[in-house]
Amino acid sequence: MWQRRFDLPLGADGTTRFVPWLIAVMVYLAALALAAGMATADAASRWNAGLAGTATVEIAPASDRATTDERVGDALAILRATPGVIAATPISEAEVAELLAPWVTTGELPSELTLPRLIDVRFDPGTAVDLRTLGAKLSALIPGARLDDHGTWLQRLRALGTSVQIAAALVVALIAGASAATVIFATSAGLAIHREVIELMHWIGARDAYVARQFQSHAMSLALRGGVAGVLMGAATLAGFRALMGPSQGSLLPDVGLGPATWAALAILPLAAAGIATLTAKATVLRALRRLP
Amino acid sequence: MNQTAQTEVVRLDGVAMRYATGPEVLRNIDFRLDAGSYHFLSGPSGAGKTSLLRLMYLAHRASSGTVRVFGHDIASSPRRSLPGLRRRIGVVFQDFRLLDHLSVRDNVALPLRIAGVDEPVIQSHVAELLNWVGLGNQLESKPTTLSDGEKQRVAIARAVIGRPSLLIADEPTARVDETQGVRILRLFEELNRIGTTVVVATHDQHLVDRFHHRVLRLEDGRITLERDGRAPALTREAGRVATPL
Repeated sequence: MWQRRFDLPLGADGTTRFVPWLIAVMVYLAALALAAGMATADAASRWNAGLAGTATVEIAPASDRATTDERVGDALAILRATPGVIAATPISEAEVAELLAPWVTTGELPSELTLPRLIDVRFDPGTAVDLRTLGAKLSALIPGARLDDHGTWLQRLRALGTSVQIAAALVVALIAGASAATVIFATSAGLAIHREVIELMHWIGARDAYVARQFQSHAMSLALRGGVAGVLMGAATLAGFRALMGPSQGSLLPDVGLGPATWAALAILPLAAAGIATLTAKATVLRALRRLP
Repeated sequence: MNQTAQTEVVRLDGVAMRYATGPEVLRNIDFRLDAGSYHFLSGPSGAGKTSLLRLMYLAHRASSGTVRVFGHDIASSPRRSLPGLRRRIGVVFQDFRLLDHLSVRDNVALPLRIAGVDEPVIQSHVAELLNWVGLGNQLESKPTTLSDGEKQRVAIARAVIGRPSLLIADEPTARVDETQGVRILRLFEELNRIGTTVVVATHDQHLVDRFHHRVLRLEDGRITLERDGRAPALTREAGRVATPL
């Protein structure tokens, strides 16, 4: 595939001068789209793993603390007696206060604020639990009790994650198409400029594949150069995002850091760009040469 | 392939040719080139000599009739088989068609590179051939630095480096002086003596008369005269009374 010398002076004409730059920009955009898609997939996976198989029972505070404690005890009893529940753990008031702390500017909750009591429930993944019936039972037997199975939240998160991933895939596909169009344009221009030389090669016995290889090698070289530059720019941008988000991003925001999977995906981009450019140049040249006798 | 087909390098039967949708530039062409023959294709400018050569080196298809090259009917031959036939044909183009970005060495080497010959073999053949045409000291020169005569010799070296069975030269003497022209035709005779079939298109009747080879005369897209080169006698005439050339 890689030829030591070019019979066609493809590097000497100006038609391909901007191709590496265009490919660099496209690979840069593809890198950002890919990283966004991967980060969203990763976050969705973490949210899913964290919330799937769990539920929270919320018990509204009663008029006095003893009654509230009694209702929490009743709820725990019902939950622990339910087949498929592997753990039901009350969340202490201190932990609830800690969860709310980021939303309180002073960092401390007012003493007069009564907080609901929460019970963290975990289910056996292998056992089907009818959460609707369980929730109805809790609400019927314990005043102010409500079961939140996170389903609505998870469903929306999954929908959002899937949408972002589909959008990222579409962006990458569009960029691949635009890259191919760029190569088609540059190759067609090269075919027109070097028509006489190509005809000569054809007449002295060059097979179409021989001529096409010259364009393929050139296109691959241009795309590789542009692709590497685009990926480096993309990596720098992602590293900048990472630095801006800081270490306190928590588990809610997607992690756009350069993990091994992201690095691997970025490393593939220049190769993919080179592959697209090579195949596109080949197809363009072979199609044009078929018109020669 | 029968014996006749093997001795026929080129055979045209009832051939006509046109460019795109234009008028026919060749009409009712019938002739054959036997292996080892030397033909002049003469006629005034615009008679269709270059078009006829293009049919022979497979740069164009006939619009009607049959073109057979090395026994293959070109119209029915698969496209993938044509490069192999073209490699058996050496062409010296009227405008040289040298690649200005390549050195003389690489220009001459091009047909062998295209054919996938090993590089050491290529280098040895190129040096030998450029010495033969008197350009052994110009290996690394670019065509733009050469005179027309030198360019013509590079073009000839490129045409014959693949040891073609058929050598086609389109007006090879048009851009050189008479001495150079005679020298070039003598080079072709050397190749002809070792079995290469040679076709030389020229409008220079004076040169044609100096060499006693077969002559096909083309006028207005038709072959009007075919002369046996061994003597200035007419062997065939198309459509009119013969006059000695």
